[in-house]
Amino acid sequence: MIPAALYRGARLLAGALLFGLLLSGCASMVPQTMGLREGWPEGVPTQFELADVPFFPQEDYQCGPAALATVMVNAGVKVTPEDLVKQVYIPERQGSLQIEMLSTPRQHGLIGYRLAPRYNDLLREVAAGNPVVILQDLSPGIIKKWHYAVVVGWDYPAGELYLRSGEKKREAMPFTMLEYTWKKGDYWAMVALPPGRIPVTANEQEYAAAIAAMERVGDKAAVTKAYAAALERWPASLGASIGLSNQYYAQGNLKETEAILRRAAENHPTSVVVSNNLAQTLSDQGRDAEALALLDRAGTPEPPFAAAVAETRALILQRLAKSK
Amino acid sequence: MKSMLKRILCSFLVIAMAWVPFTTQAGMIGSDAAIVSAASQADRNTVTNFLNRTDAAAQLLSMGVDQKSAQARVASMTDAEVAQLAGKINSLPVGADSGLGTLLLLALIIWAVWYFAFRR
Repeated sequence: MIPAALYRGARLLAGALLFGLLLSGCASMVPQTMGLREGWPEGVPTQFELADVPFFPQEDYQCGPAALATVMVNAGVKVTPEDLVKQVYIPERQGSLQIEMLSTPRQHGLIGYRLAPRYNDLLREVAAGNPVVILQDLSPGIIKKWHYAVVVGWDYPAGELYLRSGEKKREAMPFTMLEYTWKKGDYWAMVALPPGRIPVTANEQEYAAAIAAMERVGDKAAVTKAYAAALERWPASLGASIGLSNQYYAQGNLKETEAILRRAAENHPTSVVVSNNLAQTLSDQGRDAEALALLDRAGTPEPPFAAAVAETRALILQRLAKSK
Repeated sequence: MKSMLKRILCSFLVIAMAWVPFTTQAGMIGSDAAIVSAASQADRNTVTNFLNRTDAAAQLLSMGVDQKSAQARVASMTDAEVAQLAGKINSLPVGADSGLGTLLLLALIIWAVWYFAFRR
């Protein structure tokens, strides 16, 4: 017979081992929450809440329209979840796609921007006054239960974040629980902001791409404003330079187009798009010889734009022949 | 059956016809091509884009979105986004659940694990 003390000792040891194992297992389940312990983002308060963010209780399965309306109304757009149902809800799937969550704000003059998949970025955006839409999987099992909610604040000492979610105006959720549910959708998060208000965590290239995406349906003045703001924040941005110069070109403002492209050419001497568009702009001002010389200097263009450059060259040659 | 087929074909064609290619002035390389496509590293041509758009709109249509909305929705997407959607609307995640019930269940499971593993 095993002495009682030994038995108790073994049980204690087993328990401690199991507990340790579970703890490390749990820690690896929420790596970013663990990361926050050592690296809380600089300049972000540990207690913070955007209390004025509106709330639209979700109806049926329509958390997509509700979450989107929350951030869009907060950004100053007059819209209701009912208006957005037609734009972002898919009746037969009873839900909303991530891509459409990003594309729908464009129809209302806002720029949808997907955040980098980091807790830090989420916290920094909210702290800057931008509520963040996140995608969560609320199912503990294999079946996915996707849900959109809006993060509006937190109390880090208490270990909670606050969300506008479903039928709850202010749902408190532990940092660990939020990460666990958020991680399964690859930490998908987005903001929707008006032109000129750049997300604090925005990446230059991706933000330029987000503006270009709005160009398709957005108001021209808004698009111009957005590119101009992006170029002000990142003066060497290739995307913003091309975007803004194209806006000026469309308005017939060749001088300004040229000025922006010249600056872009200094920063990006190998850009095929910049040299092509600059050559076109020069040619339109009757400076064909200068344009041709520019294209010659640029060398052989790369595949995606080779056809466009060849067209520009042909046009310039044609104009030169005519003027002779 | 025949009329259903006709209806699907018609709506497909209407969507297809309404598709105006997105171009800037001749000679200039547009922002969409220069910025978005460069970012997504994809070499897509006009025909693929066109087919993807028609396909995405037809899928939305078949899932209960009305035709006008389906067109407007696809029109507000970039070529790269449409390419991601085409043929996959059925399998991509859709956020839907109100989540109250499952969260309670999750809490219950965590509590049960704690109760049985660490109670003593």
